[in-house]
Amino acid sequence: MRFFFGFIGHNAFQAWAVAENFFKEISGMYYLTRATFYCTFIEPFRGKPNKWKPIWTQMEEVGVKSTTIVFLVSFLIGVILAFQTASQLARLGALDFVGALVGVSITRELGPLMTALVMAGRVGAAFTAEMGTMKVSDEILALETMALNPVKFLITPRFIAILVMLPCLTIMADLMGILGGFLIGITTLGIDPIAYYDRSIEAMVIKDVVTGLIKSGVFAVIIVMVGSYMAFIIEGGAEKVGENTRTSVVVSMILIIIADLIFTSLFFFVT
Amino acid sequence: MIKVNHLRKTFGEGDKKLIVLDDFNAHFESGQITSIIGGSGSGKSTVLKHLIGVYKPDSGDIIIDGDPLVNSNRETLVRIRKKFGIMFQSGALFNSLTVEDNVALPLREHTELNENTIKIMVKMKLEMVGLRGAEHLKPAQLSGGMIKRIALARAIALDPKIVFYDEPSAGLDPISIGVIDKLIVDLSKKMRITSVVVTHEIPSAMRISDKIIMLYKGKIIAAGSPEEIRNSEDPRIQQFINGSPDGPIPFSKSQKDYGEELKEMRFS
Amino acid sequence: MKVNLHSEEKEGVVTVFIDGEFDMAASPKIRNFLAPLFHENSRSIIVDLSKVPYIDSSGIATLVEGLQWSHSKGKKFRLTQLSPTVKDVFEIARLLTVFEVFDTIEDALQGV
Repeated sequence: MRFFFGFIGHNAFQAWAVAENFFKEISGMYYLTRATFYCTFIEPFRGKPNKWKPIWTQMEEVGVKSTTIVFLVSFLIGVILAFQTASQLARLGALDFVGALVGVSITRELGPLMTALVMAGRVGAAFTAEMGTMKVSDEILALETMALNPVKFLITPRFIAILVMLPCLTIMADLMGILGGFLIGITTLGIDPIAYYDRSIEAMVIKDVVTGLIKSGVFAVIIVMVGSYMAFIIEGGAEKVGENTRTSVVVSMILIIIADLIFTSLFFFVT
Repeated sequence: MIKVNHLRKTFGEGDKKLIVLDDFNAHFESGQITSIIGGSGSGKSTVLKHLIGVYKPDSGDIIIDGDPLVNSNRETLVRIRKKFGIMFQSGALFNSLTVEDNVALPLREHTELNENTIKIMVKMKLEMVGLRGAEHLKPAQLSGGMIKRIALARAIALDPKIVFYDEPSAGLDPISIGVIDKLIVDLSKKMRITSVVVTHEIPSAMRISDKIIMLYKGKIIAAGSPEEIRNSEDPRIQQFINGSPDGPIPFSKSQKDYGEELKEMRFS
Repeated sequence: MKVNLHSEEKEGVVTVFIDGEFDMAASPKIRNFLAPLFHENSRSIIVDLSKVPYIDSSGIATLVEGLQWSHSKGKKFRLTQLSPTVKDVFEIARLLTVFEVFDTIEDALQGV
């Protein structure tokens, strides 16, 4: 009996510690995000302009070098979607509607989401690994003691880069996905190109693309903030960098899905 | 130049409370080299982290060139930090930047100087540390001793009045140690820089210092000129400067009796 | 502290008088003052440092730039009346021999 209560007490204590840790992380992330917004959007108007060179470098790293994987993934998603829906729609005699289905699901959901997930793995991990290494080798401390703000110096360029590039990549992913569906539709599935095009245009609305872009902006903030936070909290050695890089990818993927759910339901109920 | 009064710092809470620094007083004078020596865990790095404004003390105050550092706001902290340079143990150079960009970074960020002027200044700083010509190398291409010299060049980029050295000679070969020691002395004597050196290299500290502060378990056990330290009667100091394994400073970190601890071991 | 600058031209020799600390804050201003002088029709430029109580490495770098300009334009660039503190800084930078340094303006004017 005593053992049993001891057990519960121990567990409750542990649960409390976990919860406390969780809230500490949340507030830490909040403060870092606030500092980043301040450095990125407010400080430039108070006589401390952002430097363009690091932003360009990051844009190239984040955006240009991610195009291949984003194109490939979204193109294949379009192809797969067309194949998967074709067999079902054919039974209903509505094969022409493959285009509509592919177009709507890509622009509304899969384009922004898949791009964000790919980028969380590719760029979020790189953010944590890069800045985490700087943290363990005292480079971030060196910045601070040189009276340079690490947030402004390291996070702001990455923040701006991904905030601009993720929506751009999302648009390209949308186009590639639709192209993938179209190519399969008119070749393997034998749908008339004109009909495919007409059905797609009928079904898709510009609002879907815009909501997709709003979402991808939010995903961008999640990726860069989780990536940076996970790097900035590293204490200790190299093994921590690896550990936090993994955590960073996992956490940002989960947060992306949650944010997606929230925004989708918001758009669903509001509009 | 730097005054430290009654500095006290503890880590942890309750039973695990650990006093890392207890009543640390020091006065670092202009143009002098002061070394803080002690074994690992003696609190010497903690002192340095307080001086550069990374740690906040539990009590006590630090005044750097007339400005109080403890509890200062962001602007004061920035102003104080522009007055000193620091050379980290690992060098802490930015690996993605070339040597030139590393040294130029504080100049580009904190001054309105023309890019050509900055390039000339970088060359001058590199000449001072004897590495002129290394401008376009990346830190990964440099040896340990070179990294430290570049780190020193970066530390003095803004012509600071104060330079902090964190273990300047750790992990270097004897010749590199000699080079770094000479640089520290030259800089402080010729440019009247106040130098604070945190080290456990006794011979090097004895050579370069005007004053030595010895820490043991967070307390100052000796302070004075190298001569005074060398002639001290305190067995702890003698043990440390002679590097003997036997003496009042125990080799084992454990406070508990070995036999007792073995007897009390429980296996679950 | 504000640095004051003015120049005098006499028989093709421009003498620049610097009054104030020649530090990181003053260097950009002094550089902008010196740069156009090298495009004028003067033979030589003399910098009078008698009222400079302190010079830092940015000041020296600015003067090195002046030296570079004078070389490319084929003009003479001389420094005069260095205070002992200022001279020390040149010595530490090991650049005292690189410049043509004179104790008085009269000496500096010889053979320009």
